[in-house]
Order: sequence, then structure tokens, then C-alpha cells
Amino acid sequence: MVSDSINASIPSVPKDFGKKKRANRSAKLKQCKLDARREQWLSQATVKNRGCKEELMGPRGSPQQIHEEGRKNPLENLQMRRQGRGVREDEDDNGSIHRDFDMDSPSNSPTGSSVLGGNDSSTNFTASSSGSSTSGSSGGCCSGSITDEDDEGGDSCLDDWEAVADALAANDYDNKQENHNDDNNPCLELQSSPEHEPVVELDCNSCNLGSNHENLTRERRIPSRVTPGNSRAWRPDDALRPQSLPNLSKQRSFPNTDRHYGRGMHAWVCASGVNVPSACPICTEDLDFTDASFLPCSCGFQVCLFCHNKMLELDGRCPNCRELYKNDSVEVEAIVPGSNLTLRLDRSCSMRS
Amino acid sequence: MNSQGGISMAGRGGSSATATSSWVSPTSVSTSGKRIQREMTELNMDPPPDCSAGPKGDNLYHWISTVMGPPGTPYQGGIFFLDLTFPSDYPFKPPKVVFKTRIYHCNVDSAGNLSLDILKDSWSPALTITKVLLAIRSIFTHPDPYNPLVPGIAHMYLADRAKHDELAAEWTLRFAK
Repeated sequence: MVSDSINASIPSVPKDFGKKKRANRSAKLKQCKLDARREQWLSQATVKNRGCKEELMGPRGSPQQIHEEGRKNPLENLQMRRQGRGVREDEDDNGSIHRDFDMDSPSNSPTGSSVLGGNDSSTNFTASSSGSSTSGSSGGCCSGSITDEDDEGGDSCLDDWEAVADALAANDYDNKQENHNDDNNPCLELQSSPEHEPVVELDCNSCNLGSNHENLTRERRIPSRVTPGNSRAWRPDDALRPQSLPNLSKQRSFPNTDRHYGRGMHAWVCASGVNVPSACPICTEDLDFTDASFLPCSCGFQVCLFCHNKMLELDGRCPNCRELYKNDSVEVEAIVPGSNLTLRLDRSCSMRS
Repeated sequence: MNSQGGISMAGRGGSSATATSSWVSPTSVSTSGKRIQREMTELNMDPPPDCSAGPKGDNLYHWISTVMGPPGTPYQGGIFFLDLTFPSDYPFKPPKVVFKTRIYHCNVDSAGNLSLDILKDSWSPALTITKVLLAIRSIFTHPDPYNPLVPGIAHMYLADRAKHDELAAEWTLRFAK
């Protein structure tokens, strides 16, 4: 197989370049370029007789797998990924992944590819770029400039990165893979600012979740600018970048807190979904937010925390169903631990005064 | 937990203050007074049949109530006065109900004390004066001779219902009209 022979030769090449280069970043770039070129060859060789959709799907589906591998073994380096990709390219040749990927909804597949191309390491970036290179002329020019470039500050090198990204974006936005997207790429290269690209890459490497989220949200906005001329990969500091696009640094911290708040809100909604009396039926004091969410008994009879405490002192039975209060109420309180504790303290203080 | 300790201390302080004097502590007024006031409003808006209740004077914790003898019972036509006394930790403790009108009933003794489960062990803070009055009205129609306060009347009720009803009607005519 063609892919096998090329894959075997790959690991030695980056080492040679790495010795030459001063910075690791340039070495990485070089590796990625080489990967891109190799995959371009691969795709040109294997994909020629396939439909356009298949071309797109194969390389796109594979980064997801690699991405998952990378998540499992975050300390694995690029070599492992490259090997893994060699494997999945074989699978791609067999068409086994293709089926996998068709199960993805059309809206999901661009996200997956753009996410992985953007946030995973450079290997994945080039992997998805190969998908774009198969589509037309821009891939060719991309590879051509990559091979000769070895300067880390070289504009043409970074322009090629943009070309990769833009082609990727073009593919993402256009599921049906119109080749005229590639005609737009040269002008798009000129617009984008090259020096931000490594930053984006590093950010995405450090935080997969955040960039996933970002790409999800970005994908929702895609239909608003479907025209091929607009299809481009926005840089964080791009002057023409729409304000509506989410910021990566903001998004990175978002998913965790979002999940947390989501759970909290769910609890509140559950509590308020029941018929919540406005006042405690025992002491007729107004139920505050904590009291309203406080369900001490399974019968649904709600009392304020003060009265609940009082009844626990007396006989510990629910006034409505006369069942003994169980310790479940403590669990209910534990859903909102912070606010409950503070409110209880407040109440005790007010009672003392 | 500190908060529970604080609350319980405040509650005990209020109850001990009322135990020594009829004056209730400000804490208890704030908690139970509001509840009693709301019950008074509800009772005025939607009184139970043949019943009325309200504060005796300006003391919110001392009420007077009247219950009409339900038709179809030997107590028919009688008006029975009751004294209701709310404890300072109402509604966590039941109100005290005393018949001021003499009645021939196995659950009411000669002092007017009433044996009603919901006014003793079965009291629930969710109960209101309206429900208490309804319960009192129900024992007019359905005395409970198996938990009697006056065993003689209960025995009479079980053994000779006609004699019992005759005596009850006589007492009603004599004391409750």
C-alpha cells in the first residue's frame, strides 16, 4: 500500500528537521507541513476515483478518532498520533470509516473537522487540511510552498497555514464541497494575519473542551454566512473577525461553570415546578427562595426551614402526612449547600436579635 | 449545628417566659401571632357551618367560640360557648379548648375539658382553628365512647342510646339556650 510505505518513512523525517531548527515550533510546523503534503499525496492517489463526499468524509472522520486517542493518552506525542493516523488512513482506504462518518449529521461533521483541525495538535490540523487539498488547486499550492519553507518567521509558510485553515473552513461551510471555494483561498490568505496562528494552535492544544465549545457555537452561526467568499478561519485578533464570534479565552473557562450552573438551575427549576406556596403554611411567613426549594417531606408539604427545625425538635413529623421526617431533607438541602447554610445562619442571627 | 442551637434556645426562652406569666415573649408574638391573625381572617372570610370564633378581647391568644348544636342530634338548637387559648408556640402546640357551656357528652367533662385526639397527641401544626371547630362539631354528631372523658355517659351512650339522647337534649335545653 502506498500509505504504508509513506508512513514508515515519516517518523525519521521530522527528526532531521528538528535537529536543524532552533525552536520546537518551527519543527512542529515542519512536521505538519510534511504531513500535509504526504496526506495530500495519499488522498490524491487514493481518492481520485471516489466521490467528492467521500473525499471529505474520510479525512474528517479520522481526526475524531485521533482526538479521542489523544484524550485518552494526553502525553502521547506526535509520533503516536502519526502512527494512529496511518492506521486510520488504511481504514480510510478500506472505506470502513466512511460508514462511521456518514452517521454523523451534516451539521455535526463540519464541526468535528473544524474542531479537530483547529484545536488538536498540528497533526490533526494537517489531517483535515488534506481533506481540503484533495478538493482542488489550493491544496496543490499549499503543498508546494510547504516543502521549500523552513523559516519560522517566513510569511509564506504561515500563509500556507492560513491556506490550510481557510480551505478547511471552506470545506466545513460547504458540505457539498464546491471546488470554487478554493478559488477564494488566495485572497483570503492575504486578509488573515499570519502571526496569530501558532497562538491559536497552542490554546487549542491546552484546552480541548473550550475550543470544542467554541466551534460548536461557531457552527451555529455558520448558516448566516454561507457564501463561499466569507468562508474563512477567523483569528482571535483578526480585525475583520465578527464580534459575535465567541472568544476562545472566554470559552475555555466556560464549560465547567456552565455545567455547574446548569445543574443548579435544574434543581431550582424542579423545586419551583411544584406548586410552591408563597407563604409557609405553619408560620405564614413568606417563603424565600431557599424555603421554596426546600422539600422536607415526600408528600410535598412545604414548610420554611425555621418551622422544619422547630418540628424536628418536637416530634419530627410532617404536619401534613404525619410521617416522620427522614434525613432526605438533608440531601435536599445539600443541593444548594452554600446558600442554605448562609440562610440558616442568617435566621439564627435574626432569632437571637 | 450552631444555627439550630440558636433557634432552639430562642424557642425555649419564649415558652418559659409564657409559662411564668400570661404575657408572651415578643419572639412568640412575631411567629404565632401572625399565624393566629391569618387564621382569624380566614375564619371570618369562610367560617365553618354553625361555628364562629374570634378573640375575646384585645388578646389575640384568647378566643371565644360558639358552636351550634347540629340538627338531627340531641344538641340541636343549643349554642355552646368555648374558650380557645393559644399557646405561645402555636401552631407547634395545640390550642386549648374548654367548653364554657355545660353539655351532656361523653367526651366533655363537667369542667368543660374536651378529649379530642387532634387537640392532644394528634395535633399537627398544619391544623387550624377552623378544622378544630369542625372536629368539635363532628363529635356532636359522632361521640367517641371508646375514648371517653366521662365514662358514665359513654356507657349510657353504648348501652341505652335513647336514654342518652334524651338526657343530652334535656341538658341542651337547660344550659345551651
